[in-house]
Amino acid sequence: MELTLNEKRLLVVLGTMGSADAAVLAEKMDTRREAVVQYANLAGDRGLVDVEKHVARRYVPTEEGRAYMGKGLPERQVLESFEESIPMRDLQGHPLAKIAIGWMRKKGWIAITGGVVTKTGKTAPGPDEAAFARLAESGEIADGEIADGEGVADLAKRGLVEEEETVAYTVSITARGRELLSQGLDLREEAGTLTREQILSGEWKSLPLRRYDVTKLPKRAYPGKTHPYQRIIDEMRRILFDMGFEEMSGGIVQSSFWNFDALFQPQDHPAREMQDTFFLGERRPLPKGYERVRDMHEHGGETSSTGWGGTWSAEKAEQCVLRTHTTGLSIQHLTQHPNPPVKAFCIGRVYRREAIDPTHLAEFEQLEGIVMDEDVNLRHLLGFLKEFYAKMGFEKVRFRPGYFPYTEPSVEPEVYVDGLGWVELGGSGIFRQEVTEPLGIEHPVLAWGLGISRVAMLRLGLRDLRHLYRSDIEWIRETPVYGGRR
Amino acid sequence: MAIITLPYRYLERLAGTDRQTIIDRIPMFGADIERIEEDHVDVEFFPNRPDLYSPEGVARAMRGFLGLEEGLPAYTVRPSGITFSVDPGLADIRPFLGSAVIRNVNLDEEAIESLMALQEALHWAVGRGRGKVAIGVHDLDTVKPPFRYIASSRNRSFVPLDFEREMTMEEILTDHPKGRDYARLVEDFPKFPLIVDADDRVLSFPPIINGELTRVTAATKNILLDCTGTDRRAVMTAVNIICTALAEAGATVETVTVDGEEMPTLAPAERVVSVAECSRLLGLSLTPQEMAGLLRRMRFDAEPDGDSRVRILVPCYRSDILHDWDIFEDVAIAYGIENFDAALPATSTVAQEHPISAIAGAVRSVMTGLGYLEAIPFTLTNERVLYANMQREPAPGTLRLLHPISEEQTVVRTDLLPLLMEMLLANKHRELPQRLFAVGDVVEDCVTYPKVAAVSIHPAADFSEAYAAADVLCRELSLAYMVSESADPAFLDGRRGDIVVDGKIVGVFGEIHPAVLGAFDLEHPVAALALDLRAVPGYPALPGTP
Repeated sequence: MELTLNEKRLLVVLGTMGSADAAVLAEKMDTRREAVVQYANLAGDRGLVDVEKHVARRYVPTEEGRAYMGKGLPERQVLESFEESIPMRDLQGHPLAKIAIGWMRKKGWIAITGGVVTKTGKTAPGPDEAAFARLAESGEIADGEIADGEGVADLAKRGLVEEEETVAYTVSITARGRELLSQGLDLREEAGTLTREQILSGEWKSLPLRRYDVTKLPKRAYPGKTHPYQRIIDEMRRILFDMGFEEMSGGIVQSSFWNFDALFQPQDHPAREMQDTFFLGERRPLPKGYERVRDMHEHGGETSSTGWGGTWSAEKAEQCVLRTHTTGLSIQHLTQHPNPPVKAFCIGRVYRREAIDPTHLAEFEQLEGIVMDEDVNLRHLLGFLKEFYAKMGFEKVRFRPGYFPYTEPSVEPEVYVDGLGWVELGGSGIFRQEVTEPLGIEHPVLAWGLGISRVAMLRLGLRDLRHLYRSDIEWIRETPVYGGRR
Repeated sequence: MAIITLPYRYLERLAGTDRQTIIDRIPMFGADIERIEEDHVDVEFFPNRPDLYSPEGVARAMRGFLGLEEGLPAYTVRPSGITFSVDPGLADIRPFLGSAVIRNVNLDEEAIESLMALQEALHWAVGRGRGKVAIGVHDLDTVKPPFRYIASSRNRSFVPLDFEREMTMEEILTDHPKGRDYARLVEDFPKFPLIVDADDRVLSFPPIINGELTRVTAATKNILLDCTGTDRRAVMTAVNIICTALAEAGATVETVTVDGEEMPTLAPAERVVSVAECSRLLGLSLTPQEMAGLLRRMRFDAEPDGDSRVRILVPCYRSDILHDWDIFEDVAIAYGIENFDAALPATSTVAQEHPISAIAGAVRSVMTGLGYLEAIPFTLTNERVLYANMQREPAPGTLRLLHPISEEQTVVRTDLLPLLMEMLLANKHRELPQRLFAVGDVVEDCVTYPKVAAVSIHPAADFSEAYAAADVLCRELSLAYMVSESADPAFLDGRRGDIVVDGKIVGVFGEIHPAVLGAFDLEHPVAALALDLRAVPGYPALPGTP
């Protein structure tokens, strides 16, 4: 049993006094009464002292009551200000008349006839005046001090006295306390923060160290942190690094050529209308060899394709857009790295011309992975997807046929999420030859994309996509850096 | 999105199987089930398969996929003897016409609705909102061949569908609901497309509206189809899809002679494809027999052609078959995507972080070490936040969206600091001190590059805090920098410094100007910094410009 120094000091004082009021003990120990009660409660929990609580009520004069103190109640003062009778008009000149006349009538001390006030003779003091006299004498009346509390109650009703509650504590040492005391107590000061000197000198070895209450909550500290969404992005990046992928990065502004035409998106495709895509006034010249892309659109170039037919417009291809996907970067990366194997990924902001609401944003992040190698095939595409999703914590993955304009075959991966069922989580496929052939890419390219804000919402338990970009400080502070796997 | 309503009873009768089998297997064929209702199911089919936009088309495909019927569906076409002429004056307006006669149609209310739904879905997917192709169906028995497709004067009048009075074509564009919807497709032409019969009565004003005269009703027995447009291939796709769908429902198709050409033929296209190429793409080892068998289930005619090839007949309604790989995808679907063994290739590759990400990662580590929280602001913002509130002049290379969707998002950000100021406002009710940073792309003159910015707001935020943070950041990024007095109006004069590297200003730090605090409705001092990360050693050469 480790007593605090204060408990020990309390025991010492009680050793001589046996039992005492907390206020008295406070004086002896040179501290506040509340502190003594706190020490006594601690020692009480250990059975070293008994703490008895007394609640006492008493009546003390209010401000108005104090004004009449020593002079008597207003009606008595006014009664004594005249002889047997007085004209009402004169009596009203008395400063207390307003209060007093009513009470004098109520108590039957006076009668009023024809504008003249006359004493009735029955003017003996009642219990209220007795109580008031007593109050004037001692400054307070303890509860139960006056046999019938009637007089006090009348004064309280008139607002001349008020009730006050006082709590007193009597602390008494127990037999166990005495026993402990008799064994002798170490009354040296306890140390708080260790000083450099105490550590160096070795004094700490004999120092009584203050014990702290470890159950009290600490002051809350907030560390600097990366954004919860960024941590998910970084986790995905790490997974892709683990799988041997190279990271790509590139411009937000792309020409329509790279964003659409190079991906064999027909020029009249609905995605290329201003309702769906953010167009800019800027234009960019077409790259060398763009004619092969044009030919592919118009008649299928030198492949087994028929192309889209019609006339391809270079002017349309030059117009700049905010990229609608990062696939344009993938295809540029492949033209710059034509030799297999290429395994690359990109996580980047993409843009759609959508009105902002809880499930739609005009900009969001997309992940895209590509694998180009001799003889990679559909089974490998499924293999990469399965591995990637498993590492993301989605153990159950299934595949269905899909459709994306620049892949053939196309596959829609779905993952199983508890409580939601099968959730479509991105798209995938093998780049069409119409995409790869004009750019000199000679091997199959597996590609998949994933709207990662959706994964982030699942992980972070968000219902509103906008929350990811609102950066509510409270939310960032309270979202743990390591959330475990959900 | 093309969402097709499939009534169970009709579908079951056409497909020859029960609804549950169809609902179970349709997703593995390539479609998303939208809603399962009491008497029908709504299914979304992909935009490359407009041939599935009718219950007849779906039943035809499902019979094959479920192994109930294989190979090319046979459609016989007889000549109707009806002719159609096309006015050369339409060459620059709407040159192409496809037509057919469909006899013995059996149209109850449901069938009419289904035909209208197919027409609308085709307008969307093939017709690109009627510009590329517009479809008209007419009660053939109300008019008299031969028919003429002409470029007409704009004030010719007739009674359009759903109206009781004659209107001129110009009136239709302003007063008829369909006219208003599609006026933009024709209003700039001096003449308008019009289809009339032998007695000069109006069948249709393509691509806007048919005449009331030829309205199709439950009593209609014979249909005249017109498809007009700007792309011949797309026009014929629409003709083929509608004709074969009605033929599946039991009608017979007859040809129309358009300027001497008899159409439609509904003839398949031949392709000879390599078995090895297909096997290589899918990761299977198929024999020509196996491959041909799988393709027959996708309603192709397919026969082995020697040891290494398969000769295929592609149905006329399969407009999505552009390339051999489109056929290989059908092989994969028939094989069953769920039956493929997922595998990883044996090739080994080495991971590589992008240098810009490495720099951004270093920034995050320094700023979080200093106690800053990361924010991820939008890249789209407006000039009030970006410039006016900051007391700054607009950057000359600011990109403005041609068609912004709101006043809040009209430009691409050229700096991050104003967006962090905006976030401080949004977090005004949160406990101080608040320290935020952001690292991310900005765009100027179409060039994307990364910046970092940081803000600290609390009663004691001052110049020395900003300077200390800027100094730490630069030192930790191995950036040899100098400081000179800044003239950035977003900061307080005498309490602002430019970060100078190789004689070039690459960043700024200091105390935010009280007028800027006021503009963002902030009540405490803000210490801030911003840095162009292109200055950091190791920053790569200009990445992929458009």
